[in-house]
Amino acid sequence: MKFSDLMYETWSALESNRGRSALTILGIVIGIAAVIAMTSLIGGIRQSIVDELGLNQARLIYINCWTDRELTFEDLDRLQANVPGYDYVTGAGYGYASVSSDTKQAEAQITAVKPIYFEATGTKMLQGRPFSEAEERSGAMVVVLDQASLRTLFDDPEAQVVGKTLRIGNDSYTIIGVSESIGMMWGDTVLLYAPFSVNASRISGSESISNIIGFATEGEDLDDVVRRTENYLASYFNMTEQQKEESIYVYSMKSLTDELDSTMMSFSILMTAIASISLLVGGIGIMNMMLTNVTERIREIGLRKALGAKNSDITRQFLLESVFLCLAGGVIGIIFGYLGALAFSGLATNLAQTVQVRPVIDVSTVVIAASICVGIGILFGFGPARRAAKLDPVESLQYQ
Amino acid sequence: MSQVLRIQDVHRIYENEAGITHVLHGVNLSVERGELLVIMGPSGSGKSTLMNIMGCLDRPTLGTYTLEGIDVSELSDDDLAFIRSTRIGFVFQSFNLLPRATVLRNVTLPLIYARTPKAERVERAIEALTMVGVPVDLFDHRSNQLSGGQMQRVAIARAIVNDPALILADEPTGNLDSATSDMVMATFSHLRDQNKTVVLITHDPEVAEWADRVIYIRDGILLTAEQEEAYVKSRDGQARGRT
Ligand SMILES: Nc1ncnc2c1ncn2[C@@H]1O[C@H](COP(=O)(O)OP(=O)(O)O)[C@@H](O)[C@H]1O
Ligand SMILES: [Mg+2]
Repeated sequence: MKFSDLMYETWSALESNRGRSALTILGIVIGIAAVIAMTSLIGGIRQSIVDELGLNQARLIYINCWTDRELTFEDLDRLQANVPGYDYVTGAGYGYASVSSDTKQAEAQITAVKPIYFEATGTKMLQGRPFSEAEERSGAMVVVLDQASLRTLFDDPEAQVVGKTLRIGNDSYTIIGVSESIGMMWGDTVLLYAPFSVNASRISGSESISNIIGFATEGEDLDDVVRRTENYLASYFNMTEQQKEESIYVYSMKSLTDELDSTMMSFSILMTAIASISLLVGGIGIMNMMLTNVTERIREIGLRKALGAKNSDITRQFLLESVFLCLAGGVIGIIFGYLGALAFSGLATNLAQTVQVRPVIDVSTVVIAASICVGIGILFGFGPARRAAKLDPVESLQYQ
Repeated sequence: MSQVLRIQDVHRIYENEAGITHVLHGVNLSVERGELLVIMGPSGSGKSTLMNIMGCLDRPTLGTYTLEGIDVSELSDDDLAFIRSTRIGFVFQSFNLLPRATVLRNVTLPLIYARTPKAERVERAIEALTMVGVPVDLFDHRSNQLSGGQMQRVAIARAIVNDPALILADEPTGNLDSATSDMVMATFSHLRDQNKTVVLITHDPEVAEWADRVIYIRDGILLTAEQEEAYVKSRDGQARGRT
């Protein structure tokens, strides 16, 4: 029997059983939809993280080193001088103080940085400018405000504040810029950037750096730079192998997305496991329907054999029916899964406002999902199909 | 005349949980090309069993069956399927058409299993339908929209569409009134005139009148017309003797 004839037979058989076929593939639809929704959401989240961070950030290396003393810029300069592969290494110190505008007062988290920090982190300025090398070196009394702080300090997130004055302790500082908000702060805490030297001498009195970032030279293998940095820091602080393990944590954006991928992977495996159960149930449903089909059509099977159908013709006819059913379920599942992911990400975007996640679906996922459906169709359709093929033609023709 | 089939000392013994049923007891029969042979016998005598063996749907337990010079007793299932699709045409009492398929589709079904090229199928189906007198305007009707007589003629068209060596009809008029039955028998008679070979089972003596030759079967044993007559006489005699 030719394939086109098989297709015709399959189509007319399923057509005459539309309602039952639709119900039977529900399990497959749900299982595939769940997998597709999850994978396309995960793909979308990954994409939006990469987008959000931008290309600039791809060359960032985050350096964490816990020792008995705090690190200083002197340490960073040595690191930069001794580990090849960096354009520069910089960092931020943190302090807390209360700040007041003309009308309001609030607690502030102060990020004490050198100007290159803005460049390294790709911080965008919404008003004014960041402070300069010269201002940092001379200890100019200037600050940059995080945009979210405007509401707290000036009652208006859009307020034009460049040139205005803020008081920290007994000192007055001139606001020279407003940066794009990097995130949400709890309550009314405001976020502002001050020159490192000013923070050290006038605000927190600390020279320590707690957030070290390096900017790798274009074209460097980040994993290599990370490894060199770890080794350098370990020998710099005379650490044992175990101390190194415990106290030094250096990672790049790339290793972060790699890690994200592996986290997502285990999440996907979990989802796949759950979906498999649905697919298993769906498969059993298909098998059940096919067995019913075979029983209802025993006379037809006998007739087909009398007219010259080989056992393999009958096997293929019923097998194709179940494969076709599963595949139809899979296609519907893929569509619903993607629509579901779209709806969910729309909802999430509405709630979170700041992040935009668009579900991403790729061809390989679709192909894999479709293959799984074909597999299920064969796996669960084979028994019933063989059963049909093995029926005795004489007895089948007499079957009432 | 050439021989189409030859059955030699065939036994058919069923074995199942209920026990052993010996249905055919050493049947010998040969059929010539262009013959319309009618087999008569009481229900349960083994007519259908014999016909299933002739149609390669079943195998003899003992003995040989030769169809067109080929001993089919030893062939594989697939080979038998091939023979059914190319050399045999079946007509059943209950028509056995696919109810939702069109008349034309029903008639082309054997050609699909015989792997006849698509272009040829419709042509041959139309030829067969025309030969048995099914009007053209019914070709695209669903078979469940037809009358009994029309259905049986479509079934006959299906049986002859692959130009078989042997047409087998198991009580083809059993579900038809006598007028329709006559029409269907005229069709078989017409096929015989075209040098087709027909073996037909019936209960109905009027149907048997269309035959070139009638044989009888009782308890799995074939009887000639004379033997049957003698059997009936002696049985009636015994019955009269008893009363
Ligand atoms: N598969 C089978 N197993 C056991 N006995 C059978 C089977 N098929 C038919 N028989 C028996 O064989 C005998 C002949 O059956 P059949 O050939 O159908 O008779 P007919 O067609 O002449 O009415 C019957 O007694 C029937 O019960
Ligand atoms: Mg019978």
